[in-house]
Amino acid sequence: MSVKYIPVQWNPNKWVYDAIMLAGVAAFLWLFLYRTPETLGYDPAINPQIHNARAFGACAFVMLTVILCIGPLARLDRRFLPLLYNRRHFGVMTAFVALTHAGYILNWYFAFSSSDKFVGLLYANSSFGQVAGFPFEVFGIFALLCLLILAATSHDFWLKFLTPPVWKRLHYLIYAAYFSVAAHVSLGILQDQQNHLFTALFLMGAGAVVVLHLAAWRAESGAKAAAHDGNWVHVADASAFREGFAKITRLPNGDRVAVFLMEGQLSAIANACAHQNGPLGEGKIIDCLVTCPWHGFQYDVRTGRSPAPFTEKVPTYNLRLVGNTVEVNADANPPGTYVEPVALPQTGSEVPA
Amino acid sequence: MSDKPFFVGYLPAPGPLRGFLIAVAVLLIGAMAGAGYLMGAAQDDPGPGAFRFDYGRQTVTGVVDMVPYPILHVTQGNDRIAVGDSFMMTAGGKSGVDGRAMPLNGQLAQVSGIVLERGDLYMMQLRGGRNGLQATDGEVPDIPIEPQGRWQLTGEICDGKCLAGAMRPGRGLAHKACANLCLLGDVPPIFVSTQPVMGEEFLLVTGPDGTRLPRDAYDWVAQFVTAAGNITRRGDILVWEIEPDTIRLAGEDAE
Repeated sequence: MSVKYIPVQWNPNKWVYDAIMLAGVAAFLWLFLYRTPETLGYDPAINPQIHNARAFGACAFVMLTVILCIGPLARLDRRFLPLLYNRRHFGVMTAFVALTHAGYILNWYFAFSSSDKFVGLLYANSSFGQVAGFPFEVFGIFALLCLLILAATSHDFWLKFLTPPVWKRLHYLIYAAYFSVAAHVSLGILQDQQNHLFTALFLMGAGAVVVLHLAAWRAESGAKAAAHDGNWVHVADASAFREGFAKITRLPNGDRVAVFLMEGQLSAIANACAHQNGPLGEGKIIDCLVTCPWHGFQYDVRTGRSPAPFTEKVPTYNLRLVGNTVEVNADANPPGTYVEPVALPQTGSEVPA
Repeated sequence: MSDKPFFVGYLPAPGPLRGFLIAVAVLLIGAMAGAGYLMGAAQDDPGPGAFRFDYGRQTVTGVVDMVPYPILHVTQGNDRIAVGDSFMMTAGGKSGVDGRAMPLNGQLAQVSGIVLERGDLYMMQLRGGRNGLQATDGEVPDIPIEPQGRWQLTGEICDGKCLAGAMRPGRGLAHKACANLCLLGDVPPIFVSTQPVMGEEFLLVTGPDGTRLPRDAYDWVAQFVTAAGNITRRGDILVWEIEPDTIRLAGEDAE
């Protein structure tokens, strides 16, 4: 949580996370740059500048693929959530790797001309009316701009400044960037390949992103919107709740509500964390506070407020018990509104911890 | 809810999750290392073209012939460049030597520079100014010019310098923008034929009637195309006057 902005709020997990990701990037680049020339054994060899450009370009694609796989993996299996925790740092690394790729390309293919290299980049190939020979560089430029925007706005300052919904939508640019990279690669290097191993690896990466997103979407779309009676929406039977955890219900307007059981009483708050819209209902109560599974932001489940001195707030909802059924009122209370918890009936089959 | 251990970013990872995360980390690093090696090892051979710095600077004399790209028909060679050879000339970077060669068209000149060589194709990157190209005295011999008829060829239009080895690889669609920049800078264009034409794989390609390669043809650079045009042998270089209207992707039917 944040009461003041510092460049990066480091903790041991972030150091370990960044070290692992950097090790992956370093291993990729070292093997590509320094081991494969021996394996290839071409004489004369590929120009070092082109070899470097390819290494950094391929690395950026792989990094982007990993980034986009983390989200759906975490949706499908919560054990992958720690990979989501510091993903922004990996995104910033990706932007730098992609920028290095662009630098090699610009300073090699578009250098040594009487034209400015940036001008040359834009006008050298203007065959926009055809697929084969299309100036695929524009897709790379667009993807790089997206990645730079995402990297520049990755800090929590921008999250707070833009508000989470706007920030979240802005960061969907990652999909535009990935699509653009796929077009960049498909219309560029893939058109020239005699050895199709790279093509196969590219298709595997892009295929993994698509399949994982479809699987996550399918898993989530399985939870149908709850039936409603007037403005009250069915949540679950009282016996279904477990101490410290939540049941998530989708309201008719599409919003999700997380109904938590704490100390034998039920309280409901919005499912979207005020930080990055993380799924609060997939978190748990730690020290009497709902803890977001993404970045650990915490809220009092009765008020939707972060503990002082933090200021984040989420909407709360009213609950009622109808017989043994828990229902939530679809009208959200203003963020931070206290709501009296609803005590669960004590039954023989239900033993809150 | 699940009994799976719950991770909070600023707290130590729970024990059971730690093992899983270590396994994921090892797999991730291993997968990235594997991808790096496989992707790097999947690169194609860029071909035999290269700057021949090992030959040292070459200086020869010959007849300058603007076709309209500058070629030199050698009249006084050395131990590497024989009398009777013809080669294309270019300047440093993505620039040609048209401005320097034009006034010497049809005259004897001494040229000096570094050779780029790819099989039968070679080109000379001239030194700057008069050091690279200067008029010289002597009798100008007749250069044999032999029309070879109209040919339909299949292959790729490239810029001659990158193809000859300035860039490795120096052809293909990934290189198209670079090739266009070279052609815009007056580097001679080359057609790489899929089938040898009178024993030659590489032909200097121009527009019809001795004009420069038309800009319309730039859309077809680096693609696998079929086109028709007259071939002329000038010295020992084949010059193909491509007809832009006949260019189409190889495999497509003519309209």
